[in-house]
Formats: sequence, structure tokens, C-alpha cells
Amino acid sequence: MTYAKARKRNLIRTACFLPLGGALLAVGPMTGVADFGSPAIGQQAVTKLPNPPADGIMGFVVEDFIPPVIQGKDACPEGTVRKVRDEYLAALPEAERTRLMLKENEEELVAKWQASLFGSNNTNICSQPDMFTRADMRTVQSKFSHGLDLDGGKSVDTCAHEEFASPAGVTGIDNQEYRVMGCTLEWRGVDGIAGDQAIGTRQFHASGEWTQVILLKGVDSLQHDDSVEVIYANTPDRPVQDSKGHFLRGASFSASTKLPRHRNVLHGRIENGVLTTDPQDIMLAQTWGQGGSRDIRGNRTKFDYRRGKLQLTFQPDGSLRGMLGGYKPVFDVIQSPGIGGVGSALVAGIDCAQYLQTLRKYADGIRDPKTGKCSGVSSAMQIRAIPAFVNDVPAAERMTKR
Amino acid sequence: MILKNSGLKSKALMLALTALPVAAFGYTALQPAPIAAQSLSASAAQAQPGQIVAMRRISESQYRHIIADVFGPDIRVAGRFEPIVRPVHELISSGASDAAISPAGIEQFDAIARVIASHVFDEKHRSQFTPCAPLDATKADDACAGGTLAPLGRYLFRRPLTPSEQAFFTGLAGRAATRSGSFAKGLELSLAAMLVSPNFLYVIERAEADPASPGSLRLDNYSRASRLSFMLWNTTPNEALLHAAEIGALTDQAKLSTVAESMVKSPRFEQGLRAFFSDMLLFEKFDELAKDPVVYPYFNQEVAAALPEQTLRTITDHLLVQNGDYRQLFTTNRTFMTRVLGPVYQVPVSKSKGWVDYQFSPKDDRAGLLGQAGFLALYSHSGRSSPTLRGRAIREVLMCQPVPNPPGNVNFTAVQDTANKAMPTARIRLSEHATDPTCSGCHRITDPAGLSLERFDGIGAFRATENDTPINIAGSMDGSDFFGGAGLGKALADSPSTPMCVASRAFEFATGRPSENAALIEALTKSFGSNGYGIRSLFLQVAIMPEAWRVRASKPVIESQVSFADLRAKNP
Repeated sequence: MTYAKARKRNLIRTACFLPLGGALLAVGPMTGVADFGSPAIGQQAVTKLPNPPADGIMGFVVEDFIPPVIQGKDACPEGTVRKVRDEYLAALPEAERTRLMLKENEEELVAKWQASLFGSNNTNICSQPDMFTRADMRTVQSKFSHGLDLDGGKSVDTCAHEEFASPAGVTGIDNQEYRVMGCTLEWRGVDGIAGDQAIGTRQFHASGEWTQVILLKGVDSLQHDDSVEVIYANTPDRPVQDSKGHFLRGASFSASTKLPRHRNVLHGRIENGVLTTDPQDIMLAQTWGQGGSRDIRGNRTKFDYRRGKLQLTFQPDGSLRGMLGGYKPVFDVIQSPGIGGVGSALVAGIDCAQYLQTLRKYADGIRDPKTGKCSGVSSAMQIRAIPAFVNDVPAAERMTKR
Repeated sequence: MILKNSGLKSKALMLALTALPVAAFGYTALQPAPIAAQSLSASAAQAQPGQIVAMRRISESQYRHIIADVFGPDIRVAGRFEPIVRPVHELISSGASDAAISPAGIEQFDAIARVIASHVFDEKHRSQFTPCAPLDATKADDACAGGTLAPLGRYLFRRPLTPSEQAFFTGLAGRAATRSGSFAKGLELSLAAMLVSPNFLYVIERAEADPASPGSLRLDNYSRASRLSFMLWNTTPNEALLHAAEIGALTDQAKLSTVAESMVKSPRFEQGLRAFFSDMLLFEKFDELAKDPVVYPYFNQEVAAALPEQTLRTITDHLLVQNGDYRQLFTTNRTFMTRVLGPVYQVPVSKSKGWVDYQFSPKDDRAGLLGQAGFLALYSHSGRSSPTLRGRAIREVLMCQPVPNPPGNVNFTAVQDTANKAMPTARIRLSEHATDPTCSGCHRITDPAGLSLERFDGIGAFRATENDTPINIAGSMDGSDFFGGAGLGKALADSPSTPMCVASRAFEFATGRPSENAALIEALTKSFGSNGYGIRSLFLQVAIMPEAWRVRASKPVIESQVSFADLRAKNP
């Protein structure tokens, strides 16, 4: 990346609430970049594991909760998805495109591509993406993706889709969200540097806005256990970090008691050091900043994983690594730029209508039994959780607030 | 102003400087009667009633408590306070007896005073402190001003205002009201002047003849009220104490005992005890506590702020709530925890906010105050633990056994090389360092105790190894051998030096000077022990022992004089 590009990139990051295509904005300098070089996807069983605590209770705070991207040129051979300005130009006859790209016509070009973002009655492509028709976007061409096998290879409740294989060779990986979004700059980043999605998500987890905790109960062995209760919840407590922004182990957190508290009670089992939960709808908080309800910041949305499941591998250092998978409503994928409105398109160059249109095309889950159409995409988030003391919502309070 | 004592002389200079803000306002013609600061001569019988025998600068915490008690907690005290210097191996309370205030310090006090006065007499608050309405709110009203300022002055000066003081502050208020066109502004200026008066900034003790011991002096009633209040409650005397002083009850031994007993039983005694232990345990060092964030990522400013509070909560809970034996402060495994401290100790904390009770497991090896991160972090270097600093603090702070400073040319290379795999633990590094005979003498006093705490790193977090080498926590002190923090705590609890040290510190805290009377401290310690080493009994004993009220005679010094006229000439 040239200095000018890098500078522009940072300016954009810090200047505004930049909705990503799912994009999380205003994330500041690129500290806390996820460790993409390490084998974070923990399907491989680990042999040397400590014994669980005598009471069988283990707590964790989620430090990484990021869309897993396999960088490299295989996935997007034509490059990343074009920004709205470039998309506008690409759709023009060559002569007109050439004319508008002349420096003296820059003002006209800006006016025209920006005008293309708006529709009648002051609609725009990010606030009302349904009302615009766009060409499909570039999608991931590689056969590899991280993720989970959500349907067991059976398309009973799903729509037709192509499956990925994981880099480790596991087949049947369902991750249509990655197929659609994996070539956007916000997801892909630049090789060696994480995309804004990864960085922004990390920021939201560090700030206490999206912070998640995992509480395991009834763990008898980290190698094999037929039945483990898994509480997967949000916490309002802000993680303690070191001077480099890494979460510190051994801090205490309380599962959120404030409604809606998104306390997911899951059942799981441990096989060969890998904890896998049964499919179940999972909901987690997604708060956009600290603003009031009428502000973009402070908007309360949620992570909504239908038939979601966790697959987490116990690590010798006490941490957990793995995935959350499930089917996500297509609009949730563009929640962030949607909330950002036309600014997402004008500033970040995101074409929400194009994203939504392509997501619908590749939707493979949340099938309507009547129409047979799917309104969700298979999705996966890479998780790394470190040991913490997690206080569950007191039983009495769970009963009274239910 | 007559000065016969060098310490008092410097304070009197400060007194003159405090007049400057008032002078700057144009009221130099009005001055309160000067303080006659006279030392006691060797011939105490020549002393006059009302003679000043000691001046102790109030501390920042005392200042804040006074303002909150007199004006309410919503009156803001904003500003930086010039610190009181701690004399070597003594309490800050002793330093307060010799503390002057620099011109910059007085400017700070003046700024703080003006903010306080403006709040007290703003529209929201003035009715609480003004018992009358001025005839005209835009003009001076001496009767109303006097009626307002006299009771405030009594609380702030800890005695009734003298007629000349009354006249001065009333006149000041009147002139300021006339100039500003506001009665309230006049009161404001007058109150600000009170708050920079040495009569407020210094606890001034006066002597009177002791009828029980002809030829001797004792503290007068109002001085006793102040001493009792600052010693036991760390604040200004309340109405009951001032009344007791007014009727002469505090020089009556039986009545003094009754008053003191009720004070140590009061919940406010916790405030006094916190001040005492903050002083005894050198808590001012927390203000400059810093750790290398790369070596100790768990340490941050929130942790630094919570550490002294954890120790104080442990102390006050054990000594006051549990009414425990002082010696058990070194063995108890009961403490308090917050979310901020939880990661340092690697323990769960149930509540998101505030403090919760916590009991360490015996296997944690965290016994009493020495097992708390506050002590362990305070007596470590920024990037490594220090058995020597810890051992020295145990000797000096908890056992009152001063350890000589190291010579200036010590070679610390061996002990500082913490990454040296050939000398992986502090014990090995120190044994190498202590082969130098110039060092070994003192290290024999400090290190055997400090080494038993080596399983706690430079911020007090637990570690079983250093440089992958298991840490040996054998320790010894004064002939007894032990293991780890628990063993050290028991050794301290069993040592006769520990209760004697706190007894001597309590006496020093009360009187503003360390006692040189060994027999008195031994008797005090014996009484402490016979009362189960309860802290209330110790402070009660100090409060009522006649020796504490006796006035120390000092050598006569050459008189000197500083007058406001001189100062005005120099500062027109």
C-alpha cells in the first residue's frame, strides 16, 4: 500500500462511523490485528490438556470474534469488490467512462456517481437497499473457507448451495456469507493486514459493547465429556487489556442482567478435546457505539444465528479456539452500512443494494417451508476465548426477568 | 511578631505571607492580632497562659475532612496541596510539626480557599451559613457579617475568635461588600481569608500551667480538643468537643477519659485510623508507584489506586469491625477485592462494582498485610521484586527498626540481572551480591525475611518459578525460621517489636513527635497487650495518658521579629 493510500485509509477509519459491508467503522489505527498466521481454527484436537477444575466450571471471555478470511489471491482473482464510484464507471459505455475520468470532468463524475446512490422520495442504496437493482458483486472463487458443516451435507431445510472445504481438509463447510462478502475490502483487507471487519469487531469486544463470555458447567474432562452445559452470553463488563490491547486472563465478568440479555444456554459434548454444541438459535448483542437511541451510535441490533453451534478446541494454554456457525438473516450481514445510511455509500463506497442482492442470491438457510425460498446465509465467526471468571445471572434473577 | 523557635519562625513567615492575598485586595490596614509564637524556655514556669507550644500543618486529608464537616460534602475542594515532608524514620505527622508553607504553596491554598468560599456563599448555599439577612444585600452589614463569621471561625480555628480576629474578619467583609456592592461577596472574601490563616492551616497548640504539677505546663482545653479530634477522627473538633473544651472538661482526667472513650467507639474513628495507618505504612509512596507495563501488564493506574484502599479496608475491618488483635493483621487471610484487583490476584470477583469480602485459601500463602499486592508492589522495583526492599520495609515500617542506607558505591549488577539464567532467582542473585562484605551486614537483616515473599512478583502476583526455576521461600528473622508468607506473617505476629512499633507510632501520631521515652512506650505496649492488642484500647490509652498532654520543653533560641509592616514594605 502506498503512503497516500494508507493515509487515506486511516483518515476514513478515523473520520466517521464507517459502516462496512457489514463494515465496522471508526476503528482507529490498526492495532490488535488478529493473528492470521496462527492456526486459530481449532478443529484439530490438542493432545496435552490440563485437568478441568474440580467443580467442573470454566469461564472464558471472547477476545476474537471475527469473520474468518483466507487471504491470498485464490479467493478473489479479479480483485476486491468495486466501490460505488468504480461500479458506476464500469457500467458506462467506454467512451463516456473515459470522458468522465478526465481530471477536468471530476466534478461531473462525482455528482453523477453520487446521484446514482439516491432514488425517489429521498431513498438511498443503504437505507433502502431493497429499492435498488444492481449487478451482482464479485464473490469468492476459491474452494476453501473456514466454517462449520451446518447441514451435515443434507439440504433438508436449506437451499441449494456449493460447499467449501477447510484449509485442513474438512469438507462440507457451509459459509455462504464468506462466499458473498469475502471479496469486499472490508472483509478481505490487504494480504497480511486484517480487514476493517476484523479490527472493528475486536474494538467492539474490547469496549464492552459486544463483549461475550462463555461459561462451561459440568466439565469432567477436556478430552471427552458427553454432556456439558454451555452458557454463551454478553457481558457489560469491559475487559482489562495490556498496553498492546490484548485481553488479560483471570479477570471477572458478569453475564448481562439487563434485558434483552442474550443468555444462550446450549448443550454440548467434548470429543478429542473439541467442544461442540447442539444446533440451537443463538442471539448475541450488537450495540453500535454509545449514542442515544435516535443516534446511529447506540443503535441496538443483534447477532442472530439460527441453528447456531459452537465448535471450540481446548488449548494447552487454557484458551479456546474455534468457530461459531449458524444461519444469519441476509439483511443482518449489511446491518452496519444499513444503519450508516447513505454515508456508507458516499464515504466508504459500499453498495448496500448490491451486497443485499447478492446475499439473497446465495442464501442457503432460514428456508420458508411455504415458498421454499431461503432468507439467510450460512455464516461463521472465528472465536478465541481466554480464561476468565464468569458470574452467571443469578438463578432468582433469571426467573423473575424471564 | 516575636519568634523564638526556628521551626515556628518559618511558619510565622508563612503567616505573614498569608496576609498577601488580603493585602492585594487592599485591606492591609486591617490585620488580625499576630500570633505570638514563643518557644518554651527551659524555665517553663515563666510561661504565660495561651503560649503557643506547637504548630502542626494540617494534611490534605484533614483539610478535606474539615471542609466537608463544616460546610458539607458538596463544597468542592479543588487544587493541589503542597506535601508535608516525612522526616527519616518518622511519621508525616511529625513532619507536620516542622512544616512551613512555601510562597507557591500559599498561592495554592489561596486558590483553593477562594473556590471554597465562593461555593459556601453562592446562592445555593449561603442561607445555610448566614443566620441573618443583611439590611441591604448590596451593602455591608457588620452585625450580620459578624454573626455569620463568628461560628464559622470557631469551627475553622478550633476555638472562638478573639475580639481582634472578630473585628478583622467583620471589617474585611464590610469593606469588601462596600467595594463589590455585595454583602455575600464580602463574606466570601472574609471566609477565604480565614482559610489561608495559619490559625486554620496549622493546628496550634497552646500551653497553660498545670495545677497538678506546679512549674509544669500542659495543653489547654482547646488544644486538647483539636488533638483528640485530629488524632482519632482526622478532622476538626465538632460542637461537642468544642463545648467540652469551653467548659474545661478536657483537662479533667475523668471527663477526658469519657470523651476519648466515646470517640474511639464512634464510627468516625475509622477515619482517624485510616489516616494513622496511611501515615505509618508510608502510603504517600503509592502516589509515585510505577511499574514497567511490559513486565507487568496487569498493573495500571486503577490497580495502583485500589491497592492502598484494599489494605485500609483490611485493617479497619479487622481492627474495628472484627475488633481483632493487631498482631493478627499479619496472619489474617481475610481481605476485600474489586474487579480491578481480581486479575492481579487471579481470583473471581462477584460484583461488577465496589468491594466484596474475600478470603484467601491457605494454599495461596497470602497472610495478612504482607500478602497483599499493596505491600508487595510498593516494596519492589518497577521491573522486578526486591527481597531487600521488602525486608527493609518489614524492619523499618512494621518493627520500627531502622536499617542503614547502602553505601553510594554499591555494585548492583548481579541483583539487577534478572534474565541471567546462571542466576535465575533473586535468592541466588542476592547471595552473589552479598558476598561483598560491605553489603552483607545489612542484607543479613533484610533479605531472609524478604526472600520468603519471593513467590510474589513485583506487583504482588503469584508465581511459582522465576526463570523457570522453582522459588525457594525459606525465610528467617530474629532467630526463627519459617516458610513463605504465612510463616513470615506468624513470625511478625509473634515478634514483640511489632506491637511496640505500632504503640510508639500511635504516640507519635498523637503528639506530632516520636517519643524518646522508652519506658513510656514499653508501658504503653504492655497496656496494649493487656487489652488484647485492640487498636481502640491503644488509641484510648494514648488519648488519656497524662504524658501525652505534657508540653515538651525546648532550648531557648534567639528572638527575632517579623512584622507585617516589613513585609508590606517588601511587597507593596
